[in-house]
Amino acid sequence: MPEPLLELKNVSAYYGPIRALSNVNMELYPGEMVCLLGGNASGKSTTLKTILGLVQVGEGEVYFRGERIDPKPTSYRIERGMAVVPENRRIFPKMTVRENLEMGAYLRNDPKGIREDMEYVFSLFPRLEERLNQMGGTMSGGEQQMLAMGRALMSRPKLILMDEPSMGLAPKLVETIFKIIKTVNDRGITVFVVEQNANIALSIADRGYVLQTGEVVLQGNARDLLNNEAMRKAYLGEV
Amino acid sequence: MAASKITSRSTIISLLIGAVFVVLLGARINSLENYTFARVVQDFLNALTLGSLYALIALGYTMVYGIIRLINFAHGEIFMLGSYFAFYAMTLTPLPWAISLLVTIILGGTVLLVLRSLFNLEEPKRTFALSLIIFGGTFFLLTFRKLGWVEGLTLSMLATGVAGVLLEAIAYKPLRGAPRESMLITAIAASFFLQNFGQLVFGARVRGFNAQTILNKPLNFHIGPETVYFTGILVVVPLITALLLWVLNLFVSRTRLGKAMRATAQDAEVAQMMGVNVNQVIALTFFIGSILAAAAGVMYAIRFGQIHPLMGLMPGIKAFTAAVIGGIGSLPGAVLGGLLLGFIEIYVVSLFPTLSAYKDVFAFVLLILILLFRPSGLVGEDLTEKV
Repeated sequence: MPEPLLELKNVSAYYGPIRALSNVNMELYPGEMVCLLGGNASGKSTTLKTILGLVQVGEGEVYFRGERIDPKPTSYRIERGMAVVPENRRIFPKMTVRENLEMGAYLRNDPKGIREDMEYVFSLFPRLEERLNQMGGTMSGGEQQMLAMGRALMSRPKLILMDEPSMGLAPKLVETIFKIIKTVNDRGITVFVVEQNANIALSIADRGYVLQTGEVVLQGNARDLLNNEAMRKAYLGEV
Repeated sequence: MAASKITSRSTIISLLIGAVFVVLLGARINSLENYTFARVVQDFLNALTLGSLYALIALGYTMVYGIIRLINFAHGEIFMLGSYFAFYAMTLTPLPWAISLLVTIILGGTVLLVLRSLFNLEEPKRTFALSLIIFGGTFFLLTFRKLGWVEGLTLSMLATGVAGVLLEAIAYKPLRGAPRESMLITAIAASFFLQNFGQLVFGARVRGFNAQTILNKPLNFHIGPETVYFTGILVVVPLITALLLWVLNLFVSRTRLGKAMRATAQDAEVAQMMGVNVNQVIALTFFIGSILAAAAGVMYAIRFGQIHPLMGLMPGIKAFTAAVIGGIGSLPGAVLGGLLLGFIEIYVVSLFPTLSAYKDVFAFVLLILILLFRPSGLVGEDLTEKV
């Protein structure tokens, strides 16, 4: 087995006295696409925030590219190769598409590489090139999702964390978005996607974890999870 | 739907109120027989100068509010510090070389440390060049001759900017993440502290501010039989204000740190996810706001000829009012609000001499009207929560 790109070891996290994550163990290997499933308030977003350093680890350790990062600030983790597509997209509404993309490359200092990556983003999302000087806030939900993904790609990341990319989008658009996620993953970028829509997430992911009240209750290959009895009952909408 | 209806209704109401005012003013000017062209020029110059000063101070309030949602009540005292720094720079120079050296090391060292942390100047070459400029420049300026207003203004802006960063680091930074009320109370405490600190260190008495500066030399001219009381400061204030606004706009819209500032104001958490160091951006915001307040403080002191440790109170409150009227968090709003208040203050006194004792009342009545009918300010965005 190669060394994991990201590893969570016995991680617990707290909001005041409330325990949001308990003893979570996860590994992501380079080039994988892994999804994190679970209902409301199961700790999915907290897991992402813990990986990013927006929520402090209570107990346990987080490793990224072989280095212990849980004491490090968010900006350091971004610099080492993480990127986020946050929940609800959260693009900068009063910045243009171009400025939003530039913010994605905030920590980079290689104008040539930045230009190349912007071209790559345009090849994935031609719509963004058409709207280059439009304010982010005036775009449709689908376009904003594309912008948020483009913005994440602009840091030339090793690992992209995605929080509910399907939220609030029409089914057809969700399909398109996931197709593009797959394309990005095929390029060698590791993808960690948090989803409520278990069907579509498992249909393209390699592996999955299922969270319930802050604990990992199931994990395994995407295909096994899709066929798992308990899983089907709880998350795939079968009675 | 409902929100947009209310907004459009309040827009119509504020437009109506504005129109009524314009008509009333026009009628008033028409009925004043002695309102000559010379007075038109005089009032306009006075109003533009005062309004520019309010605008410069208001920018500090609005920028800090935009980033950390704090009304920095100590901002008026920062303005006061700015005028005192310039006062000492202009009256105590030239310093004996030993004292100058000591001041240079202490002051220059602090400035250097703060600038390095603000602008990521870790590179040894840049640090060396910067320290050479700061230490050499300060020593040179302080030792050899009496400083004029340009050097006084420049030095004071730099020193006050650093004072603003220190204020944030000491008073507000430990409260990051605390409830907003705690920060607000702390801001009020910081304001009282600086007022009393000023009285202790600078002395409580009123001091004359360099009345001999060339900017205060009367350059009166005549239009027909009437005299316009003109001094250089009436042109310098709007010009320097315009210059600073231009630079600020360039910084915020073009540079990497300026964009990080706007991003942080729009969504601090996501800005952090892009790798923005939010602490750095907050410190930078205080630095820029304090620089602008210092520029206003020095020019205010030249314009009105005297300074004292409580001088920041009234301009501070007025500028805060201006920021709210314009729409707190909005940079153009602060400038518009500041100019508006300056014009109201001057024109009330000029057109209604019997009401001149109430001149401040009008600014605050306008504030109440705005808060009632258009709480987001003249050019502010909607305050409704986005989903």
